[in-house]
Amino acid sequence: MDPLRSYLGRLLLEEITPVVMVLTTPLAEAACRKSGLSVVDMLSPFSLFKKIDVPVRTASEVPYRLQMFKIRMVYASDVRKEDYEVADERIKPVISEANEKALPDLLSDPPQLEDVLGKPEAELCPLWIKKFNRELMRTLSFSEHETFDHPVACLLVVSSMDKEPVSKFVDLFNANQLPSLLNEGIMDPQILKHYLVLHDQQEGPQDIAVNVLAEMRSTLGLNDCKLLCINSSTEADASNADNSWLPYKALGFNNREETCFLSMDDLNEIKDFMQDFASNHIIPYMEQKIRVLNQQVATTRKGFRNQIKNLWWRKRDDVPEAPNGPMYTFTSIESQIRVLGDFAFMLRDYELALSNYRLLATDYKLDKAWKRFAGVQEMSGLCYFMLDQSRKDAEYCMENAFSTYLRTGSSGQRNATRCGLWWAEMLKTRGQYREASNVYFRVSNEEPSLHSAVLLEQAACCYLLSSPPMLRKYGFHLILAGNSYYISDQKQHAVRAYRNALFVYKQKPWSYINDHVHFNVGRWYGVLGILDVAIKHLLEVIACSHQSVTTQNMFLNDFFHYVQSMKKKFDVYELQLPVFNMSSLRIIYEDHRTYASDTDVNISESTWQELEEELIPSSSVVRTNWLDTQPKSSLRRYKDSCVCVAGEAVKLNIELKNPLQISVAVSGISLICQLSTTLDALSSDVSGLALDGGEDKVNTEPSISVFETGEDNFTVSKLDIVLDGGESKRVQLDVIPKVEGILKLVGIRWTLSESVVGYQYFKFDVQKQIKKGKRGPRRSLNNSLVVIKGLPKLTGSIDRMPTKAFTGDLQLLTLNLRNHSEYAVKGIKMKNSNPRFVIPGDSSDIGLEFPQCLKKPSKSENNSVSSKSTKGNFKGLLFAFPQDLEIQAGATLSWPIWFHAATPGNVSLYISLYYEMESSSDIKYRTLRMHYNLEILPSLDISFAISMSSSRLQEYIVRMDVMNKTPSESFALHQLSCVGGKWAVSALHSCNSIISVEAISANQAISCFFKIKDFEADSCKEAESGSYRSDMALCTGSSTDVFDIAQSPLADFHYQERCRQGTVAKGSCGLLDFVLISKAAGSSSKHTPDLQLLSHHTCHCSAPSQIPIWWLMEGPRTISHDFSKSSCEVNIQLIIHNSAAHKRPVRVVTFDVIPEKNQTVHPHDSTSAQGGWYDVSLENDIKTISSAKGTHQEKQSSKSVSPYVWCSLSSVLIELQPDSCARVPLKVCIFAPGTYNFSNYELQWKVHPSEEPHVEGNEKWSSASGQGHPFYVTVLQNV
Amino acid sequence: MASTACFVIVSKNDIPIYEAEVGSAPKQKEDLAYQHQFILHAALDVVQDLAWTTNAMFLKSVDRFNDLVVSVYVTAGHTRFMLLHDSRSEDGIKSFFQEVHELYIKIFLNPLYLPGSRITSSHFDTKVRALARKYL
Repeated sequence: MDPLRSYLGRLLLEEITPVVMVLTTPLAEAACRKSGLSVVDMLSPFSLFKKIDVPVRTASEVPYRLQMFKIRMVYASDVRKEDYEVADERIKPVISEANEKALPDLLSDPPQLEDVLGKPEAELCPLWIKKFNRELMRTLSFSEHETFDHPVACLLVVSSMDKEPVSKFVDLFNANQLPSLLNEGIMDPQILKHYLVLHDQQEGPQDIAVNVLAEMRSTLGLNDCKLLCINSSTEADASNADNSWLPYKALGFNNREETCFLSMDDLNEIKDFMQDFASNHIIPYMEQKIRVLNQQVATTRKGFRNQIKNLWWRKRDDVPEAPNGPMYTFTSIESQIRVLGDFAFMLRDYELALSNYRLLATDYKLDKAWKRFAGVQEMSGLCYFMLDQSRKDAEYCMENAFSTYLRTGSSGQRNATRCGLWWAEMLKTRGQYREASNVYFRVSNEEPSLHSAVLLEQAACCYLLSSPPMLRKYGFHLILAGNSYYISDQKQHAVRAYRNALFVYKQKPWSYINDHVHFNVGRWYGVLGILDVAIKHLLEVIACSHQSVTTQNMFLNDFFHYVQSMKKKFDVYELQLPVFNMSSLRIIYEDHRTYASDTDVNISESTWQELEEELIPSSSVVRTNWLDTQPKSSLRRYKDSCVCVAGEAVKLNIELKNPLQISVAVSGISLICQLSTTLDALSSDVSGLALDGGEDKVNTEPSISVFETGEDNFTVSKLDIVLDGGESKRVQLDVIPKVEGILKLVGIRWTLSESVVGYQYFKFDVQKQIKKGKRGPRRSLNNSLVVIKGLPKLTGSIDRMPTKAFTGDLQLLTLNLRNHSEYAVKGIKMKNSNPRFVIPGDSSDIGLEFPQCLKKPSKSENNSVSSKSTKGNFKGLLFAFPQDLEIQAGATLSWPIWFHAATPGNVSLYISLYYEMESSSDIKYRTLRMHYNLEILPSLDISFAISMSSSRLQEYIVRMDVMNKTPSESFALHQLSCVGGKWAVSALHSCNSIISVEAISANQAISCFFKIKDFEADSCKEAESGSYRSDMALCTGSSTDVFDIAQSPLADFHYQERCRQGTVAKGSCGLLDFVLISKAAGSSSKHTPDLQLLSHHTCHCSAPSQIPIWWLMEGPRTISHDFSKSSCEVNIQLIIHNSAAHKRPVRVVTFDVIPEKNQTVHPHDSTSAQGGWYDVSLENDIKTISSAKGTHQEKQSSKSVSPYVWCSLSSVLIELQPDSCARVPLKVCIFAPGTYNFSNYELQWKVHPSEEPHVEGNEKWSSASGQGHPFYVTVLQNV
Repeated sequence: MASTACFVIVSKNDIPIYEAEVGSAPKQKEDLAYQHQFILHAALDVVQDLAWTTNAMFLKSVDRFNDLVVSVYVTAGHTRFMLLHDSRSEDGIKSFFQEVHELYIKIFLNPLYLPGSRITSSHFDTKVRALARKYL
């Protein structure tokens, strides 16, 4: 790019131009004032020559043509250095002027990324910024160390009305009035002078002026005097004047309030004058001066000799460094070189200028005149740029100048700024935007906040223009700029900067940035009085959970402040405070399914459906084919849409959370609903609604005020809560539709701190609609409900349902059902999930006193009937209330419910009640679902161990271990019962009672023994005597105080326990069940007032190994015998009983050898010591061993031959009929007195396959055997 | 240890997934928190250019704002560890980054961690702060 065409090039051509100092008399000024102008104002529009086209010859011999030329006209009084303060005051209006222009923009939407990237550079960097830059540079005019601002020529203007005009010219150029630059010797006072007589046509004829001119020419010189006539148009013909001025307006005319007396001729005259002045006087003068100076410099400084001399001279002159370097007068060679350079620059002979600047730079460097050095560097940098030669050199020079200025301290600061601005422009011209923005940023640090703001904004623009655009840097610098604007009280600019940066930070993740930007923008908008935008921005930050409490407070306070300034409530869509957790949204409505409490709704539908399978009529469950679907059920009409009942509340559960640490008051939380009463019109709408997504619905949704009209069709609840910091609460909102129709839940509205109304629509997007099918209708988020006619509804609860109970706890509770409607309900059925815990009682149970009703009634009553009937009734967990039972409108029904805490742990009880409507309506039946969670604590741990009694037939010894597992409760054992009446319980012989302690305190364990006897098999007389009974009172009280376990609740519960425990322990037959009833004896700390009854059921107890064969030895226990005569023979009998239902062969085998332990060991062990031949098969066969008691045996166990010998027989086989006894006589021969144990026999029998579950499919009878029981006989020597 | 240091992990979507003020300056003023975010956020522009010019993961100091310097370490997955600091020890910063990278990989290996989501592990946090005390 041609540097001359670039912005910087044009800037330099316009700014670094010859200055003409203007000196006027008051009368000359007055003449111009008539047109509202000063002399300078009048002349300066004509000081720019677009096509002057003059040949210029400077130092070189080759002339070149100058096209554009400009001279600056300045009053002599203005040729001085301005104070910074004054200069800054002059700049301020430039910025604040733009301020007003920016205001309308602020009301529009902030720019987006695409807008910004598409903008041309000019728009990003508006005109006022350029103007600002120029003004900032101009504050440095007429500095001492630079000469391009020094006047090149002097224009003296005298009015023709002045007396003695010639002497006036002399007076004007009096030294006293001249600027200090000339007076102090910094500048050469011998400058080109040009004399002008200004004639006002209105004051008189032109002759006077012509005379004056002639006089001047004679005294002051022929060529340097001119006459200018103005104000020739007699009247103010404004239209003409305006037109003629038009081309010059752009150049800086800005009066136009007053009438202008300048005619077209006047203007042309001025133009000609200026043209002549520039081309015939200024340029030739400059050319000449350049040549003279160049000659001078060449003689003193150019060439090798001069250089050496110069060095030598400078070295000698080693003066200490002055603050501004040494003073240079206009006569010094340095000043002259500088003038030469600047003149050459102004005449665009950049090569000449550059060579001189470079020469000068070394001099100043040696002199340590840093500010001048920097100035020269700056100029050489610009020369390089204008020559478009070495970029590197240009940049180097600029940077050098910049840093040198900064080094000189405060005096060079503004110079550094100007240098920086030039530098940045230079970089921008070359497309090095990033570097340019860096320079702007560096410059901004040196300037007061207002200037730095503008500079930072330019830096931001550069980042945007760089490729690729650096948006984040752009944003950051805009924010910095905005901050500076704010500090210097330019709020509009601050807001503008911030909102331009908004799109960079549009995404949320950088939370602090987001908060800062929105908060400040909002606040400043508020200050500017644009409250709605302010609130919009503040809304973004009020839900800032990550900020500290003070910041949150500040945000909220500002927000509410502006909201209150609005002086009206206003609605905010999707207000962030409090946060509504939309995923927690649950709509609870009751169609034919009703719930006892709201928590019951959370149980999955499948649980209920499973429970209700047998309860509800199957017709509604089974899908009919497409032919029958038409109008079979009116409910079909609503397809899959949800149904609710008029007059019953539709509840909506939602969680709301306060993200702040400050508590927030939320009031009037309510639902936004719509109820359309025209069914047909909306039945299509239901399906339509299901399809279109929530998004576009929200857009088309009008403001919430529309929804407030439907008050007479439904009522909504309003809820006020206060949320503490960080708290979340679940709230329930109700809407009660009053008429039939379609109810649509649209959204929620709430009021925050009494001032802001927030509202939010529910979003039901298509995805969820699809999912709906899988999740079941209840969970779906369909917001449209079909409202049908009012129906009867039962509410129900179980009175005093415990939440905590000890295992075994038995209670009588009441189920209360209340009918709220005007219709009666009938056909009530009930089903519960866990009959181990809850069993519905009988109607006769109402009003019974609890523990007494369980007591055994007197014998006359027949109680077996009731127990039987309930058992049959209750089968399949379904309980039907009596057919004729109806609950009338408004009536309450109480029904007894038995509760038994069967097992420890957490138990969920589901109870579902079914009832039918009297009136015919859309829905034929409804169900009431109840759910209870129970915590069952362990109380008594009871186990039974049964072993066969060896001394009696048909009798067992039972060990009962009871352990109290509670930490503090103690229990009194009350009763132990054997279920079924087949078994009788009795204490052991020695003791009166089974148990010796009355109460088992916490953590105590006891064991007790008792025996049980089979009632029926052994029909002894003892049974009637009363000592054997199936129930046994354990407490010391009267034995009649016994509960009847065969009666309804206990028997039923036992039945359930039996079913349940049976599945756990599947064993062989002959099992027995125990019921232990105990009473709470109160905790150690306090006594529980009401009597607690616990029943523990232990089922299917059995002896460890059930043997079908019982045997018992009978015979004398003590025998006296005279062994001196003969050996003693003892007759004993073995009684064998077969308790099984099969015929059974039993073999009794006796052997004389004491059975050794190794008998059962593998034969190899026993025969290893023997060696030689032996018969393996014999060893293996038990029968042959016993029958033969053969040679091996005798040899082997010769040492352990028993002291007695079986003498009658060694083996006998008998066939036992089922359930019968047989007696086998045995005889033993004893040889010496002593006590003998006749247990040296064995019984062998065949086991029926059905008795042995683990050998299945094997039809052959397997064999089993049993060792003899010990039978001690004492034989005494008969003396 | 540096008096000011702000450490941020930025996911490849330019979302900060971990932030920690690890400077030893007594209690950072709240308004500095957003300033740090601004500087780090703006530095992402420079990182974007620089990251593709070198093979090294540690990009040294990429940007500065007044006396605060931004050092950056880019992982292979283009997750950026950015440290805003006023200390000079480049070696320390490099080791800090390398050790944090190891910790980050451990987080990354967690099957329950969704790449690009916020790192909420308190263990990670304490480890990073310990490393900052050690190296910065």
